[in-house]
Amino acid sequence: MADSLPTEFDVIIIGTGLPESILAAACSRSGQRVLHLDSRSYYGGNWASFNFSGLLSWLKEYQQKSDVAEESTASWQGLIHETEEAITLRKTDETIQHTEVFCYANQDMDDKIQETDALQKNPSSLTSSTLTKPLDSACLSEETHSYVTSYEMPAKDIPKNDGEISLEVSGVEGTLAEEKYCGDETCRHTVSGGDTDENKPIEEDNTDQLKRKRITYSQIVKESRRFNIDLVSKLLYSQGLLIDLLIKSNVSRYAEFKNVTRILAFREGKVEQVPCSRADVFNSKELTMVEKRILMKFLTFCLDYEQHPDQYQAFMQCSFSEYLKTKKLTPNLQHFVLHSIAMTESSCTTIDGLKATKNFLQCLGRFGNTPFLFPLYGQGEIPQCFCRMCAVFGGIYCLRHKVQCLVVDKESGRCKAIIDHLGQRINAKYFIVEDSYLSEKTCSNIQYKQISRAVLITDQSILKTDSDQQISILIVPPADSGTCAVRVTELCSSTMTCMKDTYLVHLTCSSSKTAREDLESVVKKLFTPYTEAAINEEELTKPRLLWALYFNMRDSSGVSRSSYNGLPSNVYVCSGPDCGLGNEHAVKQAETLFREIFPSEEFCPPPPNPEDIIFDGDDKQPEVSGTNNIIMAKLDSSEGSKNLESPGKHLEN
Amino acid sequence: MLLPLLRSSCFPSSSPGGGSGGGSGGGLDAGAGDRPEAQLQRGIRGLSGPLERADRRAGGGGGLGAGSPALSGGQARRRKQPPRPADFKLQVIIIGSRGVGKTSLMERFTDDTFCEACKSTVGVDFKIKTVELRGKKIRLQIWDTAGQERFNSITSAYYRSAKGIILVYDITKKETFDDLPKWMKMIDKYASEDAELLLVGNKLDCETDREITRQQGEKFAQQITGMRFCEASAKDNFNVDEIFLKLVDDILKKMPLDILRNELSNSILSLQPEPEIPPELPPPRPHVRCC
Repeated sequence: MADSLPTEFDVIIIGTGLPESILAAACSRSGQRVLHLDSRSYYGGNWASFNFSGLLSWLKEYQQKSDVAEESTASWQGLIHETEEAITLRKTDETIQHTEVFCYANQDMDDKIQETDALQKNPSSLTSSTLTKPLDSACLSEETHSYVTSYEMPAKDIPKNDGEISLEVSGVEGTLAEEKYCGDETCRHTVSGGDTDENKPIEEDNTDQLKRKRITYSQIVKESRRFNIDLVSKLLYSQGLLIDLLIKSNVSRYAEFKNVTRILAFREGKVEQVPCSRADVFNSKELTMVEKRILMKFLTFCLDYEQHPDQYQAFMQCSFSEYLKTKKLTPNLQHFVLHSIAMTESSCTTIDGLKATKNFLQCLGRFGNTPFLFPLYGQGEIPQCFCRMCAVFGGIYCLRHKVQCLVVDKESGRCKAIIDHLGQRINAKYFIVEDSYLSEKTCSNIQYKQISRAVLITDQSILKTDSDQQISILIVPPADSGTCAVRVTELCSSTMTCMKDTYLVHLTCSSSKTAREDLESVVKKLFTPYTEAAINEEELTKPRLLWALYFNMRDSSGVSRSSYNGLPSNVYVCSGPDCGLGNEHAVKQAETLFREIFPSEEFCPPPPNPEDIIFDGDDKQPEVSGTNNIIMAKLDSSEGSKNLESPGKHLEN
Repeated sequence: MLLPLLRSSCFPSSSPGGGSGGGSGGGLDAGAGDRPEAQLQRGIRGLSGPLERADRRAGGGGGLGAGSPALSGGQARRRKQPPRPADFKLQVIIIGSRGVGKTSLMERFTDDTFCEACKSTVGVDFKIKTVELRGKKIRLQIWDTAGQERFNSITSAYYRSAKGIILVYDITKKETFDDLPKWMKMIDKYASEDAELLLVGNKLDCETDREITRQQGEKFAQQITGMRFCEASAKDNFNVDEIFLKLVDDILKKMPLDILRNELSNSILSLQPEPEIPPELPPPRPHVRCC
């Protein structure tokens, strides 16, 4: 059903990343007519999350240079007047670079998937279309739901691989003898511990049988929709700006969250759990009694360090790590505080370190044992939630909608309209453009930083405990003084981001080089590639790496508005993801922009109080029957209810 | 000062999953009293201000077995006990092309109203209705698309927690029926595999303008395992209740399995429960474009 887009709006927003989406919700909420566009077929831009096949398609886009000409001005020339000039926007995105994929999982010969070399023994570094499938067919053909037989597109069956994989095919199995493999997800055989006829190295039996399910690549593709892989790796601070905004604006009702269950540290080659709450400290088996006392004392001090200036005044000039050395903390406690609690760079000042520590501690206990929450289905949900809020208040949404240029009035220097890919001119008063849409010309002065990212699919947690459903964060301090700390987030399947019996691991750091160069050493420390079926007993304790993706993402978060060339005064820029752990930057940016554009409006206020509603030119009163409920709603919370009048009232004519 | 640490010390360290709804998250409660959210509520006392309310919200979210969730402490004591609160909360979404009558069906069911003049959905987020089925009281939360289907831009997030999906077409407009495969694609991609599906041919009151036969609708539904079909009219209030009740019934029938399959060891948090009353927004401001 073709529908035509209205041509008059108050605000046009290009890009559906987090800051843009928060801004869209805020504008729409305050009564502005909002048009929210994205050139992609999905929400979120660089904040998006994908299922596995979707991620491969996304990769394909960057691996194959498109042939689209950057400039084709002719199409809109006729649409602008003499008194106007145009600022073209980009046709292709260039914020992702150095993508590299490594597949270590078994790639069976029977797979429907086109593989370059099924006989490869070594991890295959695949950079072209071999791993990728067009999004649509991948999603349909690989997903065999119980209730979908076929309707329009023929659903390709996944062949059931009964019988054995011949070892030559599946890669280096080393001394492993046979394994029976069944393509069906329900039919799983343990590799370790079970079979007696294997002449392979002794599996560890100290814990309840190390069940390392044999996961193949075809399984991952088959379970594609179980994966929700975020391009951005962040967590939500329980007392942070984003959580507060979500609750205040009611957008939180569109999403669900889970507690991050563990804070981890990597010291002396081992992964350990960091005790940060009182309960953790008390219960820790790793700390001595003395250490427990010292740590508790220090953390308690940090919680209101401002009240005890004598404790740190003398150290204002030195670094936080120096300061910690003076506080009677043992080396491992210093490590915990510096890297896993404060999570600052070693060079940060004492004051900043104390502030960060306090921030962490204050977030404890609000929802759980750690300061962090993670959204179910991944970070990519959050921009969508704000977009929904915008839509509920009247915002119009168009994905797959490219914008060719901004139309600027020569005399006033203000932007008047956009011209979209259909040649349609759409007018507005304010324009918000995400950085990645701006042309090279506009951004020519800018030296962008980069974020190095890795996404890993693994088969076991980096710190195995009784429960396999843990969500953990681990900070690996920089190896050398020149490099940055690497943040590792491990997600279990109950976060709805990966299939059962796997983990999704995200690594992030500020880029020094390519993502692989920045992150590979950490990956190697924590994981062992799947194909190297461990001959070495030690290696068996490490989780196995099934699949890895590395990429660099542009970090446009530090760029000031003045760095962009020739931006009209009513055109504002939102940045892409930043490198921080929380979402504070995105929220602050959205709020700052909103206050600049609409200084007299409230930013994402709580929903209206039912009793404060004034009906313009409408003299009907809320029905009495609804009143009690309304009052209750008011008393209950200022945040909870959007209800304002008896249901259906506005439908009465 | 010590509060954050104290709180966490009385906090259960890792709560076993309290029956948070199956694969698709917290859309379903069973045995609400066991929910870790309820524990959350117990563990957090003595807080003040918005934080408390937010946490009580989190605690009360969906924990309807534990008493009315939307009241804070004081009110709960003063107010007389409400009728038996719902046993379950179910989330249902309605999808379909623009103008087929999604909002009308919903509003006919929840409010028993119909507005001919309203052409576009602005301001409707979701509506709530409590129904009783199989001896259980179900709080049905029905989500509307917020108009995002207009330009094919419904978020994937919309499909996530839905236990039931009502796919609507207009029997008088062939193109809305031809759009169905497109909607099925989205469902395949984003919705839970366990979601119950229901196909509805709406606008039965316009029999004279019919373009899609009943058989066509039935045939389409038959292609999809477990998808039910019926025709309805929001305007004449024909089959509307039946649609929703049938859907809920189907969901309930499957439910025990869902609970058993649940292995979540870390609870799912809703930061805010939905309110008692259907949330609805003020009439659009005069200058907001409706269509």
